[in-house]
Amino acid sequence: MASAAKKTVDAVELEIIRASLDGIVQEMQNSLFRTGFSTIIRESQDASCAMMNPQGDVIAQHVVLPLHIGAFPACCAAVIRAYDDIEEGDAFLINHPYDGGSPHAPDMAVITPVFFKGELIGFTGSIAHKSDIGGPVPGSCSGQAKETFNEGLHLPAVRYQRKFVENREIDRIIAANSRTPELVLGDIRGQLGSSRLGEQRMVELVSKFSRDNAVACFARLIELAEARMRAAISEWKDGRYEAERFVDDDGVDSGKPVRIHVVVEKKDNNIKFDFSGSADQTKGPANIRPPTVRAAIGYVLVSLIDPNTFINSGVLRAYDIVAREGSVLNPRFPAPVNTYNPTVHALVEALYGALSGLLPDMARADGCGSRSIILGGRSTYTGKGYVQYEILGGGGGARAKKDGQSGTSVNQSNAKIAPIEIIESEFPTRVLRFELIPDSGGAGQYRGGLGIRRDYLNLEDARFSIRSTKHIIAPEGAGGGGKGRTGDIIVNPDTDAAKQLPTRYADYPLKSGDRFRLITPGGGGYGQSLARDPDLVIRDLNEGYVTLEGAVRDYSVVATKTGDLFTLDAIATQKARANRG
Amino acid sequence: MGQYRVTVDTGGTFSDFVYVNEETDEVSIAKIPSTPDDPSRAILSGVQLLIDKGVKPTDITYFCHGTTVGTNALLEGKGVKTALLVTKGFRGIYEVQEQSRPHGGVIFDILYDRPALLVPASLTAEVPERVSFQGEVLEELDEKALRDALAPLKRAEVKSLAVCLLFSFLHPKHEQRVREIVLEEMPGIEVSLSSDIVPQIREYYRLSTTVINAYLQPILARYIANLEDRLTGAGVNTRQKYIMQSNGGMSTFAATAKKAVATVLSGPAGGITASVQACRTTGLQNLITFDMGGTSCDVALIKDGEPSISHRGKIDGRDIALPMIDINTVSAGGGTLARVDRFGALEVGPESAGAVPGPACYGRGGTQPTITDCNLALGYLGEDNFLGGKMKLDRKAAIAAVDSVAKPLGMDMQDAAEGIVRIINVKMQEAVKAISTMRGHDLRDFHLLAFGGAGPLHAGRIAADLNMAGVIVPLFPGVYSAMGLVMSDVKHDYVRSRMTKIASVDEAYVDAQFADLVAHASEELQMEGFADSAIEIERSLDMRYAGQGYEISVPLPAVLKAGSLAELRNLFDELHRQQFGHTAPHEPVEIVSYRLRGIGRVPPVKLPEFKPQGLKTADAIREHRDMRFDGKTLSCPVYQREKLDVGATFNGPCVIDQLDCTTVVFPGQSVRVDNHKNMIITMGGA
Repeated sequence: MASAAKKTVDAVELEIIRASLDGIVQEMQNSLFRTGFSTIIRESQDASCAMMNPQGDVIAQHVVLPLHIGAFPACCAAVIRAYDDIEEGDAFLINHPYDGGSPHAPDMAVITPVFFKGELIGFTGSIAHKSDIGGPVPGSCSGQAKETFNEGLHLPAVRYQRKFVENREIDRIIAANSRTPELVLGDIRGQLGSSRLGEQRMVELVSKFSRDNAVACFARLIELAEARMRAAISEWKDGRYEAERFVDDDGVDSGKPVRIHVVVEKKDNNIKFDFSGSADQTKGPANIRPPTVRAAIGYVLVSLIDPNTFINSGVLRAYDIVAREGSVLNPRFPAPVNTYNPTVHALVEALYGALSGLLPDMARADGCGSRSIILGGRSTYTGKGYVQYEILGGGGGARAKKDGQSGTSVNQSNAKIAPIEIIESEFPTRVLRFELIPDSGGAGQYRGGLGIRRDYLNLEDARFSIRSTKHIIAPEGAGGGGKGRTGDIIVNPDTDAAKQLPTRYADYPLKSGDRFRLITPGGGGYGQSLARDPDLVIRDLNEGYVTLEGAVRDYSVVATKTGDLFTLDAIATQKARANRG
Repeated sequence: MGQYRVTVDTGGTFSDFVYVNEETDEVSIAKIPSTPDDPSRAILSGVQLLIDKGVKPTDITYFCHGTTVGTNALLEGKGVKTALLVTKGFRGIYEVQEQSRPHGGVIFDILYDRPALLVPASLTAEVPERVSFQGEVLEELDEKALRDALAPLKRAEVKSLAVCLLFSFLHPKHEQRVREIVLEEMPGIEVSLSSDIVPQIREYYRLSTTVINAYLQPILARYIANLEDRLTGAGVNTRQKYIMQSNGGMSTFAATAKKAVATVLSGPAGGITASVQACRTTGLQNLITFDMGGTSCDVALIKDGEPSISHRGKIDGRDIALPMIDINTVSAGGGTLARVDRFGALEVGPESAGAVPGPACYGRGGTQPTITDCNLALGYLGEDNFLGGKMKLDRKAAIAAVDSVAKPLGMDMQDAAEGIVRIINVKMQEAVKAISTMRGHDLRDFHLLAFGGAGPLHAGRIAADLNMAGVIVPLFPGVYSAMGLVMSDVKHDYVRSRMTKIASVDEAYVDAQFADLVAHASEELQMEGFADSAIEIERSLDMRYAGQGYEISVPLPAVLKAGSLAELRNLFDELHRQQFGHTAPHEPVEIVSYRLRGIGRVPPVKLPEFKPQGLKTADAIREHRDMRFDGKTLSCPVYQREKLDVGATFNGPCVIDQLDCTTVVFPGQSVRVDNHKNMIITMGGA
């Protein structure tokens, strides 16, 4: 392929092309959200789209899921490695975490090459979570998987279309391996449509601005993204910063926490993240691959530097990483990876922990992480399977000058909660309770956000799986703030038969009539709890966010009830605080 | 003197009036400074203006008002003290909302907070009751517990109460009984039931809509009552007093007072209904409306004479599940700022110079270049005729400001000005694409209808870049929203969710589901004074492939007969293909919601048609000015809009000035003035 002519770019054209790329990835994303068949794409919006250069570097991404920015280049690289006869009209599928960059097998990438006058000028693509791609449990994410071979069907880079025509054999293989073949194939079709749309738009853009101008602008946009990050980094104080976090366990070695450790070394405009102190790779599916590690760091740096910066692979070039091979952050094939999210949350929080030394105003306590519950069943009459998949947040960590948000997605996770009326209409489940949990937010001058409680009644026999986090190890506070409350999952709570399940557990056989309760963690607090304005504690008390006991225990605030509302007993509070202080 | 229609659109700075004499079709306009503390004062002044001319108040037979009273109360958090009642155990619905954060930068923003709850948890009460997904009562309403739960709300002196119980759209009786009990316990309180406001599946969106209604309703009701009093006091006693709603239809004063949440887009909706009229007068049925002001630009799509409607939207981050005109807003206006960052990258927006300091050329201390400065530097705007000459612009200051950006880029000043305008144009083009090509429409079939202070300056270039059919600049682009209020219909939307596989029901079942809604809609319109012959009913079904998370509205024929449902199913497949590019004809399709729109036809007013006066087009040229197009400076004519005759045709490049607006016609484009004095700009030569 012809090399990009080195040319200086016109400032106006550069900005026009940037704004146009924004529009194109948005258009791809709209197309995907609207065409996706499964509730995962349409309601939870667990999918994202991007445009890449011929090397696979992301030029522009519609940022719905920040982790995918690391996955796209790895997926493109796999396609380039596997095929030396890429042509216009090709499309490729890949969901292999080791061959490509999918965080786990359900995240299927569709990648299409873009040709302009016979020359490969880039790729367009999308990654979207599939409802089920086979494996031992509905949803394909077994918390007890010991190898990737327990994690569903894996496609290395495979050619899915030649001359715009599908390879139906691949459809048949996928269909034979999924519990929900129509949804999976329907979603792939939607992804393909979005990719082709991006391809068409990219060609229009290149022909409008000329090949040389467009290619030079694409390169400049990546350079600029890196330069912006490095310029911000150069303003930070040089030094060495360190932090660690722990994941409850890996699902196999139960009760053994998994350590995520980072040493950040910052000098001038360079910053290095050394994860050598992190745990060895785990037997269970807590491992994450380097493309995901790189993306997680990018997420944290963008959030600290400029949330509205233009995001592309240049961001990922602004830092160095040391991730020991054989560790939880750089596992060897075929170590399982399906439950990557708890590890990523721990990683993100370790990074915030380390960097808060540099940027005290941006400090924040840990949040709830993210969790999914999956109920699967099969109608004996129709033979049709269903997968009820819900993603739940909880409390956000308190910030340096603000309370944490309650009942929210946090960090890089951002799924919508499934409506109760939709769940009950579609699945044999009844929701019994849905509320925030008082006192679950970590105490502090700024309080952590509250976790969620959701109780369910199961109306038919079903197979239940959960992939959660922070049921054992609580979200940390920051700046002296208290921990958030841990999460929990209990089958038939408040009965003699109550059974607590582990943080990640696959394939628990729920009977018709069983109930279960999901408790999601609260966020950590920020600052000393005794420094919290007593009036804010009283407000929280009246809003039901803390209890009377919690106010005394966590904040040494004494309240009395006058009429319907609590008011501050200032003298008793002063005394209680003096005794504590 | 004849009978008059009077309309008013109250904005932040000005209240715009349009007066139409129904006998002569004569249209006149007025702009009066707004009185934000009580908008009805300015309204009355505008009405008085007409009365002072000798028109009898009783000859004002029609009054329509676009209001921002509800919108502003929502944006400023100034609604009434409101309480919320939910099914016991389900407070989380409101507090968790969608759980997710908006897409884009917010995902990275550690400091992001979602909008504060309109009803705090302390004013949220729970009532034991439960209805199943099939509408069966699983647990009876516990009336004693309800009365106990209301006691503290009564003591807290809440003014309004929202009620949203699970599956109330299937079984509204519990909510209705709650209202009876609430009115017994708390006489005088306003109650909004989710089963009245939007009986539709998905509890959070229903709840949010109901809460917003409860929060705004007493304020709007008071405002309307006050306005009604003032109008009546002034002798304006017509029954035809209307408020524009977000759906582009009007509603009577009384109906609006009950459904305040339906007015949050009342202001911009007027501009869209005016555009719908433009479809009738120009015969052009496909339009993109393009309203560019000082800080933002609103675009909307009209296909086959009907505006695109969405069934759910967000206002200031709050969810409203009601039909509303689908308006896409992008931060791009005359005041949008350009700057160069330290890496030499040129950025345009989203920051705006605002009213203070405003563009550099306003001479109020601004030094950074804005879009208005660029338009002045390029010669599109003149120094002396801005706002009809009421405000002089400082061209030197504009040039200095643009130069401050051009220098670090090593660019010529005018090249930089053109570049900045190109960039803002691309941003607005992307906003247009988002509502058109991204939804499967072909822009070659659409005209761009430009209004607002800055719309006609940019429309010609945007339409050309998007390969659109042309541009329409209406006669009164500065009071265009008020024009839209002159001629709309009353439109009430109704919805009811019932999830059913379409294969398992027949036509009679579907008709039966609609029966109540039809009766209700007809009755409501009759009570508002519409004769049966003026009432129209439109029915549609929200349908989806089973298990999908998103529905498409499929219009129903007036009469269902055997086989109609099969045809509907095919129509659904076809609409799905049009919108999403594929179909699944073998997948089961389900009905999610039954939608009905009751329309009360208001006799249309004839917009004035003008006859040629024999004016020479050349006489409309006031001066020639240097203007810059694509790197070339050309001496171009400046026309005065008022002096352009019907039927006049002329070619760009040129500029047309009028009191509140300037239109740019680009090289290669040509203009025709039609018999309604719209300017139609086409892309090819004349």
